[in-house]
Amino acid sequence: MNLAQVLFYLMAFIATASAVFVAATKNLVRSIFMFFITLFALAGLYVLALADFVAITQIVIYVGGILVLILFAFMLSGKETLNTIGELRSKFISINKLPALLLAGLFLVVLLNMIFKLDADNLGWVKKAQVTHNMILPNSSMTENIGINLMTKYLLPFEAISVLLMVALVGAAHLSRKGRSA
Amino acid sequence: MNFYITYFIIAIGLFGFSALFALFGVYAERKVSAFIQDRLGPTETGKYGSLQTFADILKMLQKELITPAAADKLLFILAPAIIFIAVYLGFAALPWGPGLVPAKLNLGLYYVFAIISIETLGILMAGWGSNNKFAILGAMRSAAQIISYEIPAGFAIISVVMIAQTLNLQDIAAQQGILANETTKFAGFWDVSSIGGFFAWNVFRAPHLLVAFVIYFIASLAESNRAPFDIPEAESELVAGFHTEYTGLRFALVFLAEYSMMFLVSMVGVILFLGAWNTPLPNIGPVHLATWTTGAGWGIIWIAIKTLTLVGIQMWIRWTLPRFRVDQLMTLCWKVLTPLAFACMLISGVWRLWLM
Repeated sequence: MNLAQVLFYLMAFIATASAVFVAATKNLVRSIFMFFITLFALAGLYVLALADFVAITQIVIYVGGILVLILFAFMLSGKETLNTIGELRSKFISINKLPALLLAGLFLVVLLNMIFKLDADNLGWVKKAQVTHNMILPNSSMTENIGINLMTKYLLPFEAISVLLMVALVGAAHLSRKGRSA
Repeated sequence: MNFYITYFIIAIGLFGFSALFALFGVYAERKVSAFIQDRLGPTETGKYGSLQTFADILKMLQKELITPAAADKLLFILAPAIIFIAVYLGFAALPWGPGLVPAKLNLGLYYVFAIISIETLGILMAGWGSNNKFAILGAMRSAAQIISYEIPAGFAIISVVMIAQTLNLQDIAAQQGILANETTKFAGFWDVSSIGGFFAWNVFRAPHLLVAFVIYFIASLAESNRAPFDIPEAESELVAGFHTEYTGLRFALVFLAEYSMMFLVSMVGVILFLGAWNTPLPNIGPVHLATWTTGAGWGIIWIAIKTLTLVGIQMWIRWTLPRFRVDQLMTLCWKVLTPLAFACMLISGVWRLWLM
């Protein structure tokens, strides 16, 4: 195994183990901080896949933005509320969990099916890209590539997202205004 | 294998530098504050009190590490480490001279911007872990402030990136002097590619960046929780904010992070706006001052002088201006700095298209 593979398995393990902890723990605040580790391991995996721009964007948006905002909401809610949520008793198998179990099980079936049917070493589109040299090398610059593609090939989705964000901003401004008469 | 050893040496060197700088910074802060308030400051320990911070750090090392009984122990212990590591990681991408950069990242600037934002998480961790109302109030104020001020700082940075056309900090640095590959124009009309000096700095290449620099500087004060934006640790109302419960070495780590952060944000400001490691002296006719004073050694000297000047201005501001109230702080950020930063970004685009 070379260094890249060792790093891949290490970060994959950290990502999955911390994600399991996030889902399983009763201590909600700790699970948020554990989610931070999951996101970091994911960023590392992105770097290994030569998507360094995506990796850093993930840290800026998820760690610096979303995670901090979630924590903010937690801190406004107080420790007692959090403890009552944490103490909700739940059996491992109950009728409430049936939809979730069903969904997870079906998803597992789909994933396993994919893994067994897919011949990952001989994918058609990968071979084609190798022949035509249409691929990213470790020393090629990613930012220009992403910028040019966003402004040409993917302009419509890009603009649609910006309109969506604008709508969200207007909505947030409307909700936070002091209501004159409800 | 050799370059791994070099990496370790550089990493340890940077750590040693930030620790030394914190020692020097605390001493300087005391002397500067004493001068501004017409006092003497530390005088007893060593000549002119110069050993005062060493004595302080010795005292802190000996102190007991107290963990409050009701604290979330894991978060409480980990928080100072995360706060410091977030700042320390930022140093990895900063260039010190031509060819002297710990990690040549083509996304260097974006990386520094991202890694600094992790500090917020450490502060929230400390606030929550302490299980203390002052700590949690301080942490929440700090988070609100840092998230808000990231926006004007980000747009001020983007207006530089639009002029520089790269996120690589070393390339941004090289553009602002006689080592530039492209033609550099002072204020958009006078070709200074071979003259260099302060004429080629970003703030003079495109004068609207002067406004962007001021915006960035104000925002960087807020991001490093320095006065007049130090409401997270407002001692008159919150005891000491998010680090109320910390003692001994952990408290020292929080302070180390604060002073490293001051140096880091100043250094990023110098690299982006004030010519990085380039000399301020221009070539005048046959007197090639810029050529004589450019090089790896000179680079370190220039960037250190410029950065320390900015750190000095941070201290000067801290001991001159009173603390902002929360609403004033938010008004300044959202109603003054953010629109101005947007305007800077717009002018940058126009400038790049028509004047460069």
